[in-house]
Amino acid sequence: MLTIDFLINTLSLGSLYAMLALGLVIVYGILKLVNFAYGELLMIAGYTLYILGGLSTTLPWFVIAILAVLVAAAISYLTEMIAFRPVREKSLTAMLITSFAVSTLLQNAALLIISPRARAVPLPDFFSQSVALAGSNIPIRNILSIVTAVVLFGALSLLLKYTVLGIALRAAADDFRMTRLLGVPANLVISTAFIISGFFAGVVAIFWTARTASVTPTIGAAPLLVAFVACVIGGMSNLLGAVVGGYLYGIIYSLLSLWLPQYLLDYREAFMFLIVILILLFRPSGLIRGNASSERVG
Amino acid sequence: MLELKSLHVRYGAIKALRGISLEIKEGELVALIGVNGAGKSTTLATIAGVLRPVEGTVTFLGESIAGKTPEAIARKGISLVPEGRAILASLTVEENLRLGAFIRRNHQEYLMDVEENIALFPILKERFHQLGGTLSGGEQQQLAIARALMSHPKLLMLDEPSLGLAPIIVDQIFDLIKALHNRGVTILLVEQNVDRTLEIVDRAYLLNTGTIQTSGSANQIRSQVDIEAVYLGDQ
Amino acid sequence: MNLKLQFSKWFRTNSTIVLLLVPLLLLALLTQIFGGSLLYRIVTVLFINLLLVLGLQTFMGNSGILSFSHIGYMGIGAYASVLFSMTPEAKAATLPDLYPLLQNVHLPFLVSVLIGAFIAMLVAAVLGYPLMRLSDAAAVITMFAVLVIIQVVLVHWSAVTNGPRTLYGVDNYTTLWVSVAFGLLGVILAYYFKESNIGLMLRASRDDRYAASTIGINIVNVRWLGFMLSAFMAGFAGGLWAHFITSFSPYAFYLSETFAILAMLVVGGPGGISGAVIGTVAVTFVHEGLRQIENSVNLQGGGLVGFTEVFLATSLIALLIWRPGGILGGREISWPRRKSQSQDDQLLSGSEKS
Repeated sequence: MLTIDFLINTLSLGSLYAMLALGLVIVYGILKLVNFAYGELLMIAGYTLYILGGLSTTLPWFVIAILAVLVAAAISYLTEMIAFRPVREKSLTAMLITSFAVSTLLQNAALLIISPRARAVPLPDFFSQSVALAGSNIPIRNILSIVTAVVLFGALSLLLKYTVLGIALRAAADDFRMTRLLGVPANLVISTAFIISGFFAGVVAIFWTARTASVTPTIGAAPLLVAFVACVIGGMSNLLGAVVGGYLYGIIYSLLSLWLPQYLLDYREAFMFLIVILILLFRPSGLIRGNASSERVG
Repeated sequence: MLELKSLHVRYGAIKALRGISLEIKEGELVALIGVNGAGKSTTLATIAGVLRPVEGTVTFLGESIAGKTPEAIARKGISLVPEGRAILASLTVEENLRLGAFIRRNHQEYLMDVEENIALFPILKERFHQLGGTLSGGEQQQLAIARALMSHPKLLMLDEPSLGLAPIIVDQIFDLIKALHNRGVTILLVEQNVDRTLEIVDRAYLLNTGTIQTSGSANQIRSQVDIEAVYLGDQ
Repeated sequence: MNLKLQFSKWFRTNSTIVLLLVPLLLLALLTQIFGGSLLYRIVTVLFINLLLVLGLQTFMGNSGILSFSHIGYMGIGAYASVLFSMTPEAKAATLPDLYPLLQNVHLPFLVSVLIGAFIAMLVAAVLGYPLMRLSDAAAVITMFAVLVIIQVVLVHWSAVTNGPRTLYGVDNYTTLWVSVAFGLLGVILAYYFKESNIGLMLRASRDDRYAASTIGINIVNVRWLGFMLSAFMAGFAGGLWAHFITSFSPYAFYLSETFAILAMLVVGGPGGISGAVIGTVAVTFVHEGLRQIENSVNLQGGGLVGFTEVFLATSLIALLIWRPGGILGGREISWPRRKSQSQDDQLLSGSEKS
């Protein structure tokens, strides 16, 4: 049953989920904001692919893809600067509702400006090709997503370990106030976190939209839920935990798909969220414990 | 160097400071003393920009800094070592020091400062690559002070540096403060350990329920008020 | 004379409720007298929304915990109530796979709505109890998880919900005055809950949960009571809405509706009843008005989907920047009192920066 293609597919799914979780947690760790507008960053990257793909037939695909990722990162930064920064110091509830409003705004702006109907995104040929490996046909796309994740995680850990900004990011997740007292500007740290968050959302969007080769205004909802589940499994204030949580979720999801009978498969999301609730009940800061980020009462 | 004029600060509806005025000159070692809740930590937090005053002014080197962000004030040269030390637990000692030098960009100078600080705090050399959270209380306090010094602060503020430390470590900390003072660092010190503090400071302010009750040199303070009575709550 | 004195004494402490009920009643009367079918519709929806939003306020406003699952209980109330109120023939047409036990049940409208609300409350009680001990991000995500779970179940439990398809054939029982009556009842209920001992304990736990538990408040229990009442009101509103709209699908109880009711509560200020009422009235009129414009443009061939939400979301973001506590900031409107009293109410903004 555990064939090589099942393994690769699961790892590929896990890689996407891990990148999603990481992008959510990097903001959460510093700001304690559960960013509901995170899914919309994928949507924006998707529409950038669609628009640039339709605009110009001469641009190579990978240039379009890189631009899409950059646009997602830029929009993430803009939402931080315009919407979150003014309410940041006032109340967490106001910030959460703001993120919900930003999500609604972006989603409906796509409806209004583009269309409720799905739009095609350009895909390079190798995205639909497969290679033979140990007797199985493995889609190149799945291998690519695993490689991308590994490379990006490596790059991010180098950044966090060896640059002052990276050290400041980790410090801010530890103790934001002390980090500021050392002269690290709050805006710099938070903006960087949002940019990295948008970057990961953009990268995942390329693989996510490739599944159906299209983008819709509501495409961000599913990955947002995935990121929630994965980061709860992984521990919400710990980047490594988020990555582990993403891979774990990928494995659980694949196994549920394999084992659940069809009539229960429809309820797979409900099962996942039931698991989330159970985890949070017993470990309110997630399965892999980082710093205590939320407390239980009673 | 630093001047506070009739500073008022609130926590919600509670008035924590009601008109604090004080002054520190360059090179001085000044202490704020008083019982718990007198407003000592609040004063430091307000100078550092963690709290915003409702009323009054904070002037540092001729410039008003009240209401500025903590990072902006840190860049002006004020460094706070908060109560409880606030070591960045998941960063190594080296990374803590590196962040302490955040506002100074010159890497060469940074390396020299690290050397200098390690000479001052030899234990940090042994712990250099260990996580801050794994250090003992005394080691953390040394790291916190070393980290603050990395920015070459013009004014160093220490909030209860001896709190929760073993007596022998407390001795070291007080020796260290004295040594820093002798090197010319301007220091504003908050301490519970009044006797030890009055031995080393130039001047002190006695705070009581958010106001300054009296101030002066150590001898003046000792002669004016019965310190023990203050701390026992009856005057 | 004595009666007048008694009244003025009562009025002084309860002026908020009078100041809220009278204009609302006036609005309903004017709609009845002058309103065309559009206004009649909007005002009917408005009073249903009022019950719904006050339900949200009951929990969220007093406990300080964002409740993302609220719309889910409205959905449960809607589906559960129609299972009891629909005629067997109508059920056979729209829900062919319904369990035989439920197939032949046929109860009066209000009884059905009440049963629906109780079922919603029961679900909230069971799902909610373990959640009441959580705070912060864990509370937000679990509440959201509950909404997703309810949504998944509604979409896939074809036997009782007709799956993702529209369920139709519900009788229209919710008239303007039915809606007005329960909307106003909601105002009274939410107001007196807030002022009750339990409401007071809940607010104490919101403001300082450590202090609240040291004075002997069982935070989990008071939150749970507030949560159940909140779900009951949402379920009741769901039942009323189902019997007004008469055909609906599970997608009516998900994210965009959650956003709409959050907007209604937050615009006015979640801390108070007055804020919830003002927010509901304002947002409902804007929402329904813009929706009307959107629809008429679309009928003429234009494409104006999403304009209403774009407008509402932008306004909400702007409002939160300007006043993060909502227009009223949690205060209640009340008849002007003597100055000495109102000085205590002065809000002192916290001076700590984060």
